[in-house]
Amino acid sequence: MRSGATERKRGGGWRGAAGYGVWLLVLGTVSPVAAAQARRSGGDSLEAVHLLRRATFGIRSGDVGAVLSQGRVAWLERQLNPERIADSAMVLRLSAFPLAGASASELIRDFNPPPAQPGDTMMTAEQRRQRQQQNPQRILADLVGAKLVRSVWTERQLEEVMTDFWYNHFNVVFNKGLDRFFVSDYERGAIRPHVFGKFETMVRATAQHPAMLFYLDNWTSSVPDSMNEALMARRRVQPGAAAPRGARGINENYARELMELHTLGVDGGYTQQDVIEVARALTGWTFTRPGQRGARRAAQAGRASEGEEVRFVFNPVMHDRGEKVVLGRRLAAGRGIEDGLDVIHLLATHPSTARHIATKLIERFVTDGADPEFVAELAAVFTRTEGDLREVTRALFTSRRFYASANVGTKIKTPFELVASAMRATSSEIGPSRPLLETLRGLGQLPYTESAPTGFPAASEEWVNSGAMLARMNFGLNLASGRIQGIRPAPAASRAQDRPADALAEMLGRLMPGMETTALSQSILADLTASQADSPPRARAARALGLALGSPEFQRK
Amino acid sequence: MTDISRRIFVRRGSLALVALGLPPAFLARSAEAEFRAAIAKKKTLICIFQRGAVDGLNMVVPFGEKAYYSRRRSIAVPAPGGGRNGAVDLNGFFGFHPSLGPLHDLYARKELAVVHAVGSPHPTRSHFDAQDFMETATPGNKSTRDGWLNRVLAHTPCECAGRTLEDARAHAADHAAGQVALASTSPSLRGVAMGSALPIALRGGHPALAIDDLARFGVAGGRDASLESAFERQYRSGGDLVSSAADEAFEAIRILKAANPLQYSPAAGVQYPAGPFGRSLRQIAQLIKSDIGVEIAFADIGGWDTHQAQGGAEGQLARRLDELARGVRALYDDLGDRMNDVVILTMSEFGRTVAENGSGGTDHGHANCMLVMGGAVAGGRVLGEWPGLEREQLYEGRDLALTTDFRDIFAEIATGHLGAGELERVFPSYAIDRARFRGVLG
Repeated sequence: MRSGATERKRGGGWRGAAGYGVWLLVLGTVSPVAAAQARRSGGDSLEAVHLLRRATFGIRSGDVGAVLSQGRVAWLERQLNPERIADSAMVLRLSAFPLAGASASELIRDFNPPPAQPGDTMMTAEQRRQRQQQNPQRILADLVGAKLVRSVWTERQLEEVMTDFWYNHFNVVFNKGLDRFFVSDYERGAIRPHVFGKFETMVRATAQHPAMLFYLDNWTSSVPDSMNEALMARRRVQPGAAAPRGARGINENYARELMELHTLGVDGGYTQQDVIEVARALTGWTFTRPGQRGARRAAQAGRASEGEEVRFVFNPVMHDRGEKVVLGRRLAAGRGIEDGLDVIHLLATHPSTARHIATKLIERFVTDGADPEFVAELAAVFTRTEGDLREVTRALFTSRRFYASANVGTKIKTPFELVASAMRATSSEIGPSRPLLETLRGLGQLPYTESAPTGFPAASEEWVNSGAMLARMNFGLNLASGRIQGIRPAPAASRAQDRPADALAEMLGRLMPGMETTALSQSILADLTASQADSPPRARAARALGLALGSPEFQRK
Repeated sequence: MTDISRRIFVRRGSLALVALGLPPAFLARSAEAEFRAAIAKKKTLICIFQRGAVDGLNMVVPFGEKAYYSRRRSIAVPAPGGGRNGAVDLNGFFGFHPSLGPLHDLYARKELAVVHAVGSPHPTRSHFDAQDFMETATPGNKSTRDGWLNRVLAHTPCECAGRTLEDARAHAADHAAGQVALASTSPSLRGVAMGSALPIALRGGHPALAIDDLARFGVAGGRDASLESAFERQYRSGGDLVSSAADEAFEAIRILKAANPLQYSPAAGVQYPAGPFGRSLRQIAQLIKSDIGVEIAFADIGGWDTHQAQGGAEGQLARRLDELARGVRALYDDLGDRMNDVVILTMSEFGRTVAENGSGGTDHGHANCMLVMGGAVAGGRVLGEWPGLEREQLYEGRDLALTTDFRDIFAEIATGHLGAGELERVFPSYAIDRARFRGVLG
């Protein structure tokens, strides 16, 4: 294979046939078939890079080659069917974060410290340690750690990327009360299984999950009559099925966000009256309450509560059985859970929803600017397939519009994407790491902690400000030098220094295939020459890597 | 010399001045002095957020209310005259918790005002939601992405000649490109939060910075100048959002370094309490005294969620109040004369129940109290309307009722002290009516 050096001097970069020379360098160990393909069209490689940048959490060595050798279509198809992809290496690494796999009732049992007694002003060291153990923030640490492991190490990259997208779309925040115990199961049970399934199924799954019901207060939403004992008697309700304490009428919060954020979109054509009617339809959608007296006492006495799983329940006592009209559709009086199910069906299949979902997908995966034609194209697929997300996702990543040059390399990675892509590029091992969580928090994107139901923003400019840029540079330096406690990047290759410029160019080519890195290379080389002449090779390599990970080029995707 | 030429500074050299046919060094110096003078007269607001819902009724004690004592048999603070554990009398009806003793003579000097029965009208008792609502100043609206302090910055004139702030981002980019008259400060330094992440109150379109440790602010903790310049070279002249933001960062780093953080000593006799809160306040004082144009500073202090074993004149809450008071007093004394241009404001997301609970503590409540301090404050008074603590006067039969919306206090200070305009945009969906201002600034 030709050495990359001569090719590079012709000015490799995004465009131009000369670009393929850079590919030869990058493709290192790829099969002859792939190499031939690459020679035939550098364009194919550019598209492979673009696809990888958007459909995975970052490019690793060999990724581009894999896409080229399988062919983009086949690679994507495999990613769209994640159950066909073995993933044991990632699963093994999850063991460092056991709380991420715990059920809600396990977490409630283990993380509810008993209240202190009056007169209890000082704690013994043992009591203090026990309290620490029961601090629910430990759950968040494991949740984030597990998410990082998945994002960095899973072979099912697209599934994980889409899980991230859909969790954000149906956002629930960790820190609010019981949600601290529910979020883990929410992502596992209501989001990930449905990312390539039917949209309506995911809406229903989130609508019935205790995490969402608690977060947006639907769990206490009830028809005011439910406080009426005589009415309850007439309905011959079981004791214990009473409305939760605090239920004081209809709560519109979830109904509004269901329409505004999850389905139709803010301009989707619903009115305030529709919000009220949807809220009425969803009264009674609640969950078995772990705070029920018996369960808590049992938990505190250390007794396992049999059958105390936290789960969705439809409470007919709380339900408003009157007739409703939603978006012009009449829902007959006297029904129960069907009211809510019908509303969900109506919203999920509404044309505005197709457009809204298409818009959000394009905003996240294609461009910060508007692209009404692409939206129409994708919305049509959504409607034609009745919200089949595998079909919609396939259409998104195979459309010619996705590959338009105006969309290539023009978005900025979000903080999480920066961290994940840097750790993928450096094959970082991930252990519990307080400093990494603080870095993500400092960058404004600690997963699961966005308090607004709108989720984290997708537009690049939301993430770019002076403090954030500084934090990104520092993160790059800290990761490269192995200074982030709990995170171990693979050692930066530090080969013989007789051709430092080549080694540097090769490293940049590996980190950022397809990007124009000549200027960056020169800049880093200048720094190494000027300030690091006496440093050991390991330190020089780490410094160069840090400068690369913190560079403007590496912030792009 | 026209106004504009007198105020022109150039970030990286004196080219512009030379082009105008003016001797650069002399002008740079005198104009610099004028700039510093202008900055020194600038007003500053320091917000201190007591996270966790402080018990306002034990912080500023309504010892004149019988119900206070009948509902708090074990945690009430004794009335003044009850020995050293008694409340420190303010006006015959209210008194400071004894731990707030260090702030008492500020009250006596009329530089400290209390606002009581103030807070958010929203019924939520979730710390989480209520803090968001107070920081975005949009109670009930969970989707507001920016904070009130950021909007204040966006609607308060920047000290540069004749440029509106309609697009704060574009304005910041202008600064970064040296396109504005006054370039010796960075817009990122107008609003500063102590800590590693920007609080919601300061998030938004206008640049703002979170600073954890002044002495180590910068690339690689400020320890490696060549690394810093290596990065600067990478980002320079990118001509896009990412480059101008990075440019801003380097400018802020340079300005902060020039303020010489390693050499700072507080004023004579000032001693900040040990711990992160004391450190935050000390750094705020340092920043203000460096005249680099900080207009809003933010710090928070936690540990106020006293559901159990709260204590009365002594105990858990007393210890927290002691740290708060010693810290704020140290800050006040450290700033000295500058307090004429500074207002310090405390706040908390809601108050706590009137009655003590079964564990010697209090649960989540409603209205609370705020402290306002500074030379411009019309102090020596407890402001607001006291609704009383009899059962029928309480909110939902259990909490101190609200008689002042927190936005009225925020708005009075934002406009009266910092000069913010367009209040309807700083406080969206809330009709600001100056008739409702409580007169914290006289």
